[in-house]
Amino acid sequence: MNLAESTLSLGQTLWLLSPELALLLTSLIVLVPSLIHPRQEQRRWPPYVALIGLGAALVATTTLWGCDTRVLAVLSCDALAVTLKCIALGATVILVLTANTYTRTHTRHRGTFYAMVLFSALAMCLLSGATNLVLILLALDLLNVASYVLISYQADDPRSTEAAIKFFLYNATLSAVFLYGLSWLYGLTGSTDLNGIAAVVREQENTLRPAMLPALIFVGAGFALKVGAVPFHQWVPDAYEGTPTPIAAFLSVGPMIGGLTVVSRVLLTVLPPDLEILAMDWRTLLMAIATLTMTVGNLVALWQHNTERLLAYSSIAQGGAMLIGVITASRRGLTAMLLCLIAYLLANLGAFAAATVFSSQAGSQASGTVEDYAGLSKRAPALAFGLLVCLFSLGGVPLTAGFTGKLYLLSAAMEEGLLWLAIVGATVSIMSLACYWKIIRAMYIAPPQTEARLTVSPTLGMALGLAVVGVLAIGIFPDPLLELLQAAAQGFFGG
Amino acid sequence: MMNFQILSVTLFAPLAGALLILVIPQEDVKSIRRIGVAFAFLTLVLTTIIWVGVAQAGAAGMSFSEQYPWIPAFNVQYHLGVDGLSAPLLFLIALLTTLSLFYSSRTIEMRVKEYYFLFLLLETASLGIFLALDLVLFYVFWEVSLVPVFLLIGVWGREQREHAAIKFFLYTLAGSVAMLLAIIGVYFQARTFDILGAAEFQPFAGSFTWANIAFLAFFVAFAIRTASFPFHTWLPEAHAEAPTAGSVALAGISLTMGAYGLIRIALPLFPEPFHYFVLQVPVIPVVAITSIVYGALVCMAQWHLKRLIAYSSVVHMGYVTLGTCAAVASIGTLNSPEALNAAASGLNGAAMQMFAHGIITGGMFFLAGIIYERTHTDDLKDLGGLASQVPYIYGIAMVTGLALLGLPGLAGFWGEFFVFRSTMGFIPIAAFIGILGLVFTAACILWKMVQHIFLGQLNRRKWGRLQDMAWWEKATMWPLVLVMIFLGLYPAPVLDMFNAALTALLQALP
Repeated sequence: MNLAESTLSLGQTLWLLSPELALLLTSLIVLVPSLIHPRQEQRRWPPYVALIGLGAALVATTTLWGCDTRVLAVLSCDALAVTLKCIALGATVILVLTANTYTRTHTRHRGTFYAMVLFSALAMCLLSGATNLVLILLALDLLNVASYVLISYQADDPRSTEAAIKFFLYNATLSAVFLYGLSWLYGLTGSTDLNGIAAVVREQENTLRPAMLPALIFVGAGFALKVGAVPFHQWVPDAYEGTPTPIAAFLSVGPMIGGLTVVSRVLLTVLPPDLEILAMDWRTLLMAIATLTMTVGNLVALWQHNTERLLAYSSIAQGGAMLIGVITASRRGLTAMLLCLIAYLLANLGAFAAATVFSSQAGSQASGTVEDYAGLSKRAPALAFGLLVCLFSLGGVPLTAGFTGKLYLLSAAMEEGLLWLAIVGATVSIMSLACYWKIIRAMYIAPPQTEARLTVSPTLGMALGLAVVGVLAIGIFPDPLLELLQAAAQGFFGG
Repeated sequence: MMNFQILSVTLFAPLAGALLILVIPQEDVKSIRRIGVAFAFLTLVLTTIIWVGVAQAGAAGMSFSEQYPWIPAFNVQYHLGVDGLSAPLLFLIALLTTLSLFYSSRTIEMRVKEYYFLFLLLETASLGIFLALDLVLFYVFWEVSLVPVFLLIGVWGREQREHAAIKFFLYTLAGSVAMLLAIIGVYFQARTFDILGAAEFQPFAGSFTWANIAFLAFFVAFAIRTASFPFHTWLPEAHAEAPTAGSVALAGISLTMGAYGLIRIALPLFPEPFHYFVLQVPVIPVVAITSIVYGALVCMAQWHLKRLIAYSSVVHMGYVTLGTCAAVASIGTLNSPEALNAAASGLNGAAMQMFAHGIITGGMFFLAGIIYERTHTDDLKDLGGLASQVPYIYGIAMVTGLALLGLPGLAGFWGEFFVFRSTMGFIPIAAFIGILGLVFTAACILWKMVQHIFLGQLNRRKWGRLQDMAWWEKATMWPLVLVMIFLGLYPAPVLDMFNAALTALLQALP
């Protein structure tokens, strides 16, 4: 449906914005009572309300499929935006399910917790369609603020506070740099709208080139931070280790989706591949970042004993791999990036869901290292199997979503002639299996340290179950999803 | 006769058994074992039916072909097919799995449910490799087959099992990943993932460099899986640490996969580069010869029984590679029926060797397990004089050992015979050097194995109370021994199938 922008009525605008409005409403419902009555700690309903809100937003998003229009001049509602919204909302659903166990026992500010998660989902939804620099900045800042609050959730734990300070300093500095880069883009082209910038850049390609490069580096630094790319990755392991596991799960989801959305939309709109010289600049830059990230992430992960740090470095490496999809700047590449993103989210959230079992269960006894998982296959066989499937997906073993993503990604890279990137990507995926092997070995080979059966709460089981079903479904029958994603990428490039 | 999807049924029968086992409570070990063996036996029956069906339909082209779209968005199909090359190999897998599960029902006591689940999963993945006619489908089965072997070694193996398991897994995976990139490259050339379609198209036919690189990527992946020198170092460790049935699966099934891939994929898709690397830059014959001679020498130096057998596997796979080289060396000169015949006999020898190796080395590893269960040692220095104590085991071991060294009259002879006959015709120097391997292997088996285990002085204190073969061990070994003797005297049933299919394959080359 192609609604010309000037003819949008209020009702149509509201419909196009319905996912965001649903999220905003739900987060206010969850947040406001806890502001008015902060001591009411018995409130059990925030997570369920959050789930309802997310469900409503998902339904609203699916009704938007097929739209191709601009809303309020700053948002674009096209197939890519709808896809990214669905991805973000789906990931948040699994996140809320995972966090439920944790917030049941840590009850302070429960409403704020879920409100922040919903705000970050709102930010991701806004980012998915944002075509204006100011809106991008606003949405990223919303994401940042939500992240700051969540990271410092456990204020009495010194490790949490340390992680929060590190994250805040890194984020604030690089966000400032990012803003500076965006201001250069505005200054050079006189427009804050991505399409407007693209038009000016196309006209004045050669004159703008010297000034574009620093602007690109600043902007690149900003999103590289979010994605956890080298050399701005140092916050990731410390933040994941210091904060409670569900919040680490959030950190692996929110900034990653936000960062990838921004980089794909901004770079692919403003500097599309047919602007050969300028496109070559940012593609070379990204190629270097992606190669470094994948290699460093996987190599350093091999040395980690702490589970959360291991998952952190694996997230860094996965983010690097997804950048390959952006670098190819082709339909197939964008589809591959989306596919890898979905595979990563499912597998990563599944792994974090399994890790949450140890974090919530008498937190003092869990050492946080791989030793916790010793003998898990005997203590909780279903949990061990779920984690096994997720780890295999992260490593790219066939019949999992991770393999389908890897296959498509490598094809996209080879189609564009980026053979070296493909070789690096393929090689590091083998290395990654070596580090997941530590956990798998502990689960299936090492004898358990205690014979106590592990209890897994129903919502956690649901979260892990959703992740595993998703991983296996996309691994064995990827076609329906693949066609959807191809349509989304087609819409973005064709339109 | 058969108008139902027999290939898919055969492929997923073990998986169905595996899933059924999952729902049985893990205390009910008896049911798990019975169901496991039953489903493996069912698969054996199905593969026999397929064999008969292929023999009737004419073993040259693909029979019982099934082709459905799997991922249309990426042009990947679910394409299965069987011809004279794959049918006997399917039977081999089913036979070895049935015997392994039967043997394991008496020897594996720990975590039986997971063991049977993984083994049946391995059987499905292995069958899939030999049935798949789509490159992505082939690759999926190829990688999936790694996981059960990895876990079988890692959980049910001996002391150093973790190291052996992860080394096996990562080594084989590294080769596979190179193959993945080559598969994608083939797709972008031929616009199809279908093996038969791509063979017709001849990917990279114009570009010398890229064709060679793609071929080498495939070759390295297959060479690692076949444990050819210099990619063989994972094999002795994996065998030494694996449980008995795991070794049988590894030797009989996994090694065959690599050789099969060489003949089914690397040869039809890249005949020119293959020819180049056999004649102009003779890397592959050198690899084959070194596997044979060096492998046999190292085999002779071993004091650990399972490592000894592992190195003999390296030697036998070297024969397979050599036979393929001989056939490839003839490409370009296949203009007369006699030339075609001579070339085909090289491939026939290779295929015959694959089949015989699976049977014989599988039997050998069962015997190693039988001996280990009694003596709890693999060290040849500790054993000795067992012939008087356990004469039945001695008899069976003697037959298997003689088959292993290629004695005429037993199955191992025909493969070696045809390989060397063909090689003499095309690359005589390779044949002369390769013959040494035969001599060394014979020395190794007779001297190291037979003499040190069975002959000589019996240590009454240590081995005076050993029991001879139990009924279930006999039941495991006799099918294999009967096949060894039957094929040794009358190889035609298998050889004719291979010949028809491989001649057709060679004829289809440009």
